[in-house]
Amino acid sequence: MHHEQKPAGISRRGLFKLSAGLVAGATGLAALPKQLTAAPLEGKLATLIDLSLCDGCAGKAQPACVSSCKQAKNHTIPQVVDPIPSPFPTNIIEDWSKKQAVDNRLTPYNRIVVQKVQATINGTQQTVSIPRRCMHCDNPACATICPFSANTKDASGAVVIDQDLCFGGAKCKTVCPWEIPQRQSGVGLYLKVAKEFMGNGVMYKCDLCIDRLKQGKAPACVESCPQKAMIIGPREQIYAEAERRAKAINGHLFGKQENGGTSTLYVSTVPFTELDQQIVPGKGQPALKPGVKRKMAESDGMGKAVLAAPAIGLVAGLVGVFTKLSKRKADNAGKER
Amino acid sequence: MTSTSSNASLIKRHEAIVLFEHWGIALSGLVLLMSGIFQLPSAARYKITTIPGFWWSGNFFITLKIHYIASVIFVGLIVFHLVYHWLLKERAMLPQQGDVSQSIEVLKTFVTKAPEPPFGKYLPEQRLAYVAIAVPVLMLTVSGLVKTWKNIYAPDLDRSLLLWMTWIHNVGFILFFLAFLGHIAALLIKPNRPMLRGMFTGKVSRAYAEHRHPLWIKEQEQNR
Repeated sequence: MHHEQKPAGISRRGLFKLSAGLVAGATGLAALPKQLTAAPLEGKLATLIDLSLCDGCAGKAQPACVSSCKQAKNHTIPQVVDPIPSPFPTNIIEDWSKKQAVDNRLTPYNRIVVQKVQATINGTQQTVSIPRRCMHCDNPACATICPFSANTKDASGAVVIDQDLCFGGAKCKTVCPWEIPQRQSGVGLYLKVAKEFMGNGVMYKCDLCIDRLKQGKAPACVESCPQKAMIIGPREQIYAEAERRAKAINGHLFGKQENGGTSTLYVSTVPFTELDQQIVPGKGQPALKPGVKRKMAESDGMGKAVLAAPAIGLVAGLVGVFTKLSKRKADNAGKER
Repeated sequence: MTSTSSNASLIKRHEAIVLFEHWGIALSGLVLLMSGIFQLPSAARYKITTIPGFWWSGNFFITLKIHYIASVIFVGLIVFHLVYHWLLKERAMLPQQGDVSQSIEVLKTFVTKAPEPPFGKYLPEQRLAYVAIAVPVLMLTVSGLVKTWKNIYAPDLDRSLLLWMTWIHNVGFILFFLAFLGHIAALLIKPNRPMLRGMFTGKVSRAYAEHRHPLWIKEQEQNR
């Protein structure tokens, strides 16, 4: 599933680069390397979220990343059936369709949330804004063990839930260290199968605007960020840029090692362990969990044994045949004697 | 089966290696069916996790590990079975021409109580049942290996291939479960029950074999 790269529209791309340059220049913030702004959005991608640049869109009613995400994505969720079937035996219905405006936590209609925590920077107490959404992990358990492969990892690195295949069982949420995916009941395939007994809607999360990426456009949140605190580009370049920025501000990186590595890197002047302590985790409010391990790695060894099993069976079979033929030969020789 | 006289009344039907294959595949297959069901988000929803001793059923990482452990045995034995019997030309379980019509005739005798036709080592419906189990087993094995490869090395595996493998695995699971039920249900038919002893001890009573599998007995005597 490779992205089809449209020829970059000169006016749109040019405007994007111009505005990025103007903002970076005007604010005196870290300028984006030329090769990064010009790089086409193809191949393996990564995003960089620079917390030293993000101000949570102070003064605005809603951070630009949040409103642009809502605008880009919410209309894609189908009309929720009324009444929503009650799942047996839990009877738990998760309906956010009448609370689409909620922006202070992750919901199906709010796939990015900006957490605000207090931290001491250069001796002064300051607010740090942390945009949170799917990390698009390198080997995401949410995708690899989805029983219907409704959740898959694209070649770009984006982890994408197909809302036409998802049953809303929430397994992806259970195995995600940050419990990112959020369920909307009353939509999706389960309504056509065994709605009371199997599934409970569709899981929604950031898909890195895969539809926009396929058109060569940056995700809505990245494009709308007035501070250019979020950038996207070829993975290697983004990784290098994140390292460069972290070094320049004597700061810290998050997302490089977490859950076995991700396609989302955060840079911050404040240690992430400190930021994590300030977050009050809850429903739709993920903790940071710096250094969290990839849980599925614990079973990789056994998985490799599964892959070796055909070879083991083959060798054992040949040994068995050789043994039996030898015995048969010895028996026949005995009979002849 | 301790006295000499009782031994004389028994006849060897299966080698120890065949029993090992059968029970290894059967038991690991059962573990795979169970851990496979627990890979669906079902255990917590249906409160299986609250059954004493089943707390682990809702933990997808634990059930995946159990699934992998059982797969090593299952896949290893499947490949062993194919290599061992193919190279030794032991192919009596493979269907033969006319097995379908003969199976229908045999099934009729279960109802009409009419005498069964003489059989070889295996009944025609046993040979058909072998294929009915072998097909889902091969579907599960191949798709399971690709899915395992994806889990470890290729999380961004081509989506079309992944969807094919996923649905082959899911449909294979249903077919395997039905084949397993059918296999067990065969024991409900009274004339089949003496064969159960053969699956545990490798031997069946000579009287049963001579009555129901005279063609096999004849073949054995010819080869002696």
